[in-house]
Amino acid sequence: MTVAIPPDRLLLEADLAAPAFRCGQIEGKWQHVATAWPRVTIAVNAAQRVNAPKAYGFRFECSGYRQTPPTAQPWDIDNNKPLEPSRWPAGRLLVPAVFRPDWKGGQCLYLPCDRMSIEGHGDWAHKHPNRLWQPPRGIICYLEQIHDLLNQDDYTGVRGA
Amino acid sequence: MNKATVFIHVQGRPGIVEAELPLTASLDDIRDLLKAQDVDVGEDFAIFVDERDDHEKDGKKPIEGLKHGSRVHVTRCKKIKVTVHYLDKTIHQHFAPGARVRTVKHWAVRDLKINPTDAGEHILQLCNTTVQPPTDTPLSELVHGHDCELCFDLVPEKRVEG
Repeated sequence: MTVAIPPDRLLLEADLAAPAFRCGQIEGKWQHVATAWPRVTIAVNAAQRVNAPKAYGFRFECSGYRQTPPTAQPWDIDNNKPLEPSRWPAGRLLVPAVFRPDWKGGQCLYLPCDRMSIEGHGDWAHKHPNRLWQPPRGIICYLEQIHDLLNQDDYTGVRGA
Repeated sequence: MNKATVFIHVQGRPGIVEAELPLTASLDDIRDLLKAQDVDVGEDFAIFVDERDDHEKDGKKPIEGLKHGSRVHVTRCKKIKVTVHYLDKTIHQHFAPGARVRTVKHWAVRDLKINPTDAGEHILQLCNTTVQPPTDTPLSELVHGHDCELCFDLVPEKRVEG
């Protein structure tokens, strides 16, 4: 019996094999870790900081991809479970506004491109147009935002360090 | 390893093309590769590798600096003139087509003598838009048509809140 692969999964798999994702992977920006549809785990590299990891894992829930934005949860790749709040990224101003373990129980990032966070934030469309989900760009749009946050001066390392 | 995976961007075309090339590939090899994908690169195009300032002129000579993961910029622009506005100041500089947005910001921060704390809270935004390109974006991917100029405003990066 042939099982049809759903279109959202096909689209995501195509994007993970596309030049934009592969280029980021070879440049050392991110790495696909695993797919357990509809969840995809991707490690995103971070700037070097004292006692901080080289990369943070994120588990993206991608049902409805690309028309529906994914939602991403910081993920402990070694133990395959949500990342402890004390191990979330920290920063001065911009990073802590996005990586908030207190927001929705730590299930998502406080970003306008996140499916869970955009709910109830209609004003974000004009407040943060550059951070919205862009279906034609797909998961790259979300990954670039995380990568930029983890590689800017505002990022200071891990919360519990 | 004598082959490399490279990512080619052609000015005026969306997206990038992944290709495998010998590390000794020449300009003509890249032209042939693009032609096979129906992308005709005329003599007015130059080819730059990564953030290098210089470009190969001899079609048969191996392109210097080509490595696994290189970004190859096929462009009409030998240089890109960048203007940055910050408060009441405007500065200009020419950059290689493959220079990243991050490089422009570092130059602007230095030239405008912005302190590190303020610099960390500002971001480059394309003039007259709300587009704030990721800092890894090569400038050649931002120019449109035959223009070899880019204009940015250095604006405060808004904290996500509300």
